[in-house]
Amino acid sequence: MLSNRHLETCLGTKERLSGIDAVKKIVETEAQARRIVEEAKARSQEILSSASQDAERVRQDVLANARSRREEILRTARANAEAEASKSDEETTQQLESYRKAFENRKDLAVKKAVELVLRG
Amino acid sequence: MSESFGKIQNRILSDARVKAEDIIKEAEEKARRTIEQAKAQAQKDADEIIARAQLEAGALRRSILSSRIRANRLRVLEEKNRIVQSVLHSVEEKLAGIATSAEFQDALKRFVTEAVEAVGAEQSVVRVGFREASKRHFDEVGKIVPKGTKLVIEEQPIEELGGVVASDSEGKIVFNNSFRARLDRLDTQLLVLISSTIFSE
Repeated sequence: MLSNRHLETCLGTKERLSGIDAVKKIVETEAQARRIVEEAKARSQEILSSASQDAERVRQDVLANARSRREEILRTARANAEAEASKSDEETTQQLESYRKAFENRKDLAVKKAVELVLRG
Repeated sequence: MSESFGKIQNRILSDARVKAEDIIKEAEEKARRTIEQAKAQAQKDADEIIARAQLEAGALRRSILSSRIRANRLRVLEEKNRIVQSVLHSVEEKLAGIATSAEFQDALKRFVTEAVEAVGAEQSVVRVGFREASKRHFDEVGKIVPKGTKLVIEEQPIEELGGVVASDSEGKIVFNNSFRARLDRLDTQLLVLISSTIFSE
């Protein structure tokens, strides 16, 4: 560290050098400050880029879950409808069976009535 | 001077650090909002997908059920039709063999009378033809036809099942009273009669 006397001796020259040094120092300091800000900007870009990727990942996850849920809803609806339709099949099979029995039991009567209608109608 | 110079340096760096912190904070805040907005939008889209899926599921259910019910109705109709056609086939067989039954003479007289009256000519031609019917089967009918009526006995049954066809002498007015023609004329009544006899509870 310089003493007061030494500073006073060199004052004339020293002040000019200090000014130049000061400007240099200021320029360096400002450059350092710009670097800090630039680094922050670069970091902010990284943060935003990462956030953008995270957002897309979140979106894809949510949509994938929704699509999966949609498939489940449709699968369940199809299975339930098929079960309901099977009941209709069974009822129809029973109805057909009852028609066949009715045909066996009433065929002769129906033929007799129809022949009478043709002969007398 | 060095003291103020140092302050200036510190101030410059301090301002830069504050600015850098603000930039980072702003970026972090923006990132947080971006992710929240993406989540909210994705959830909205997902809700729409689910809502549409519910509608699709309803439509799918209706489609499966209506298709199956339609197919089953068709099965029922086909079976009913098969049964009715089977009865009609038996009716045709019965009618075709009517000449050997006790009802024949009454039916023949009725058919001839109807046909002659329908033609309404003074001189008409009556053609008769039944399976398994010989000339003697038509002795009675020869007695009831009006004068001037020509009775023609066909060897083959008329229109396969048998019957009577009357016309005027020029053949301009014809009344077809064959079994086939009567079946056609009575088609609707026969279907109703057969269906109600077989299928009514």
